[in-house]
Amino acid sequence: MSAAASAAQGIQAKVLATQGRPRAGHLLLIVVAGAAAALGAWAEWIQIRDGLRVSGLNRPVGWAIYITDFVFWVGIAHSGTLISAVLFLLRARFRTAIYRVAEAMTVFGVMTAGLFPVVHLGRPWFAYWLFPLPNQRHLWVNFRSPLMWDVFAVSTYFIVSAIFLVVGIVPDAAALRDASRGWRRRFYGVFAAGWRGTDEEWRHYARAYLYFAAFATPLVFSVHSVVSWDFAVSILPGWHSTIFPPYFVAGAIFSGIAMVVTLLVPLRKVLHLEELITSWHLDMTSRMILLTSLIVTYSYLIEAVMAFRAGPGTELSILAYRATGPFAPLFWTMVGCNCVFPLFLMGSRVRTSPAALLCICILVNVGMWLERFIIIVTSLSHDRIPFDWWGIYRPTIVEAGITLGSFGWFFFWFLIFVKLLPAVSISEMKEEVAHEVGHAA
Amino acid sequence: MQPDRGVLGVFAEVTDAARAVRALREGGHVEIRFAAPAPFPELVEALGRPRSRLDSVTLSGAALGVAGGFALCVGTALAWPLMTGGKPIVSIPPFVIIAFELSVLVGACVNLGALAVGAGRARRRRAVPFDPRFSTDRIGVFVVGGDLPEAERTLRDGGAEEVRHVA
Repeated sequence: MSAAASAAQGIQAKVLATQGRPRAGHLLLIVVAGAAAALGAWAEWIQIRDGLRVSGLNRPVGWAIYITDFVFWVGIAHSGTLISAVLFLLRARFRTAIYRVAEAMTVFGVMTAGLFPVVHLGRPWFAYWLFPLPNQRHLWVNFRSPLMWDVFAVSTYFIVSAIFLVVGIVPDAAALRDASRGWRRRFYGVFAAGWRGTDEEWRHYARAYLYFAAFATPLVFSVHSVVSWDFAVSILPGWHSTIFPPYFVAGAIFSGIAMVVTLLVPLRKVLHLEELITSWHLDMTSRMILLTSLIVTYSYLIEAVMAFRAGPGTELSILAYRATGPFAPLFWTMVGCNCVFPLFLMGSRVRTSPAALLCICILVNVGMWLERFIIIVTSLSHDRIPFDWWGIYRPTIVEAGITLGSFGWFFFWFLIFVKLLPAVSISEMKEEVAHEVGHAA
Repeated sequence: MQPDRGVLGVFAEVTDAARAVRALREGGHVEIRFAAPAPFPELVEALGRPRSRLDSVTLSGAALGVAGGFALCVGTALAWPLMTGGKPIVSIPPFVIIAFELSVLVGACVNLGALAVGAGRARRRRAVPFDPRFSTDRIGVFVVGGDLPEAERTLRDGGAEEVRHVA
């Protein structure tokens, strides 16, 4: 058998092996994630029953942990499209082994993010008001509001990401369909959509995939810019800043790639994918984390410089409040997690050590959640209107339960996904090894 | 669907398959098809087929999305003309965001539909005999019509592992 055919068979066998019956540990994780999601649903039920008084929201802090969670999960969702679309257009080879995980993470991340505006409403039965639906009184949504831009941006992002994920799976599902029996064969057959891998199918597929990538690329930059405008177009000190769109996009990519690595490191171990997702892939991914960490650090510095250049006033008082006020421990933890710890990635040994990488990426995830909390809560907490001066926000157990539930919801779907559908792109890996073998020969 | 009558060569190497396809074309064969487990661009190139025409359909979808986005924003603003913050009722800059999002959304959905229709039609018109190896590790080159014994020789000379006639 030729080297290329043997390598292709090896890739397919490795991925097929990940699709077998889940082990007890995997099932336990699904149960734990499902239980956390159920806890979150129960906490949400309490909030629906008793109203938003069970949350820590107060005057002036009317946006807090739910909006933090929303921005965090939208940010997490960003790297998937970056890795699958932007790096596809840039022909970055290292994306091949990791983009499927990133794409799945994007879809489940947006599914999680989308829950929070509804949770934040307090009265979720009015959520349909967010959409421009014809109604008897001809009351339409206000398209001049950034909240409406958000509805369209996040909905579009979810649909396009889901299409991108499912289209990418088609050739792989066909390969698994032809190698499976029983219900799995029928299951993969649904995703394969009759795929036979003929020249005409590949001809249309390659063109369509290029267009999906071309459509998804501006979305990477637009969606988090739109999310940043939720804050930046207001006149609140701490929010009203022109640097917000690039700052938010860099932060989203930073946190998203950190989450990809947080998922990849245990995944490659548990599913025995070390030969497909190698240290080189981790190394290249961690370089992106380092780059985006430096951009985020630069943004923090620019914010401080702008506050100092503005002189004594609101911007400087917000900066001082964040750095020395009641939220200072969270602020300095954020700086440590997002600006200091990622610097260890300058060392090549750290970049290729899965354990070290996992620790840094978990810290980055913590830091980026805190960043959103600091931006949202401290800016509102330090108000300037005489009748609702300053207020301290403390999350309640209900809010903590809903936040924990969001992590459970995300991991529940992700853990099911990696057991039902290929976590690595089989067809693109085959193409890559065929070319590697060809070049070597 | 019943495949056409022809000769099928099974290849293990993409370079061999691409070379065989070029040799077949040089030998005057017109109807050459293949089935492969991966998107090998050199094979598609060797076949010399024109670029997929999904572009025009997809870009029309995107243009429709832009038009629909502006129409939705302007139409609903005029249907409920509520002045806020002294801003004009029809404020183009914020509407650009909705138009952009809808262009991406409609463009992507139309692209998906075009892919489904295009690939489905192509699968029926230019079928290749099914072999599960073509989704795993082998490439099938299928020659329809023409001088089939000559095509068989070319496939064998090109490095095909096996060659068979499909009735």
